[in-house]
Amino acid sequence: MSEYKKEFICPNCGWSSSLDMNIDEPDHCPNCLAAIHKEDTEGYECGGMLEAVGIWVKSDDEWYIIQRCSLCGEMMLAPVTERDSRIKILSIASKPLSSPPFPVDRLEELTKMMGGRGKIKI
Amino acid sequence: MNRENKRRKYDKGYFRTHPCTDSFTCKVCGWPVVSAGAGTGHRNHCPNCLYSIHLDNEPGDRASDCHGRMEPIGVWVRKNGEWAVIHRCTRCGKIGSNRTAADDNPMKLLALAMRPFGSRMISRSEIKKMTESLEGK
Repeated sequence: MSEYKKEFICPNCGWSSSLDMNIDEPDHCPNCLAAIHKEDTEGYECGGMLEAVGIWVKSDDEWYIIQRCSLCGEMMLAPVTERDSRIKILSIASKPLSSPPFPVDRLEELTKMMGGRGKIKI
Repeated sequence: MNRENKRRKYDKGYFRTHPCTDSFTCKVCGWPVVSAGAGTGHRNHCPNCLYSIHLDNEPGDRASDCHGRMEPIGVWVRKNGEWAVIHRCTRCGKIGSNRTAADDNPMKLLALAMRPFGSRMISRSEIKKMTESLEGK
């Protein structure tokens, strides 16, 4: 291991890779999308594990991972990079869809009941 | 009631321990919001457009001077299985999470959850390629 090529080992899932750390040090693990919560908003060191809980689609080409600290509960954003695991991203994104808090088959009825706008168009 | 009003005004952490039952008009879409029907005493976003206003630094302290619009950017599932809307302040970038209320527009909520599936960042051809490589082809 040279000085310029350090191995990246994820503290959460143990995934390792020899990325060129000088060019682009990842702020989150490309495999499990988790990271260590270094500093909270007041500048104190937290050290908790930032777990990926959601995906923000800012625009078609700009996505962010929404992470939540398991220790202090703070939410953070991390931009999705090329090498991030697509399977993990889709898995996180589909979690809310697979456990909706209301019956999906009565969606139109429920929306009408609260007087909201929206249509199902296929 | 007068005493209660005084406490609300001068007691700094009043809303940290007391639910807020005030009615308000949404500053983004103009929807008249009442506290009844939410199923929670801590409604912080409009049930129609799901936008919120940045008032708190910590839940209920009303200490923020930002007052920016908080845009709904996603939903996530809590440990107990209920959904929470993730908001991001369009002015200062603060991110917060709030439980969905019983009368939140279900179509808007589902649209938030389905957004990642209709974007070209992970396209269908990419998924097909990925599936084939997973199958060992």
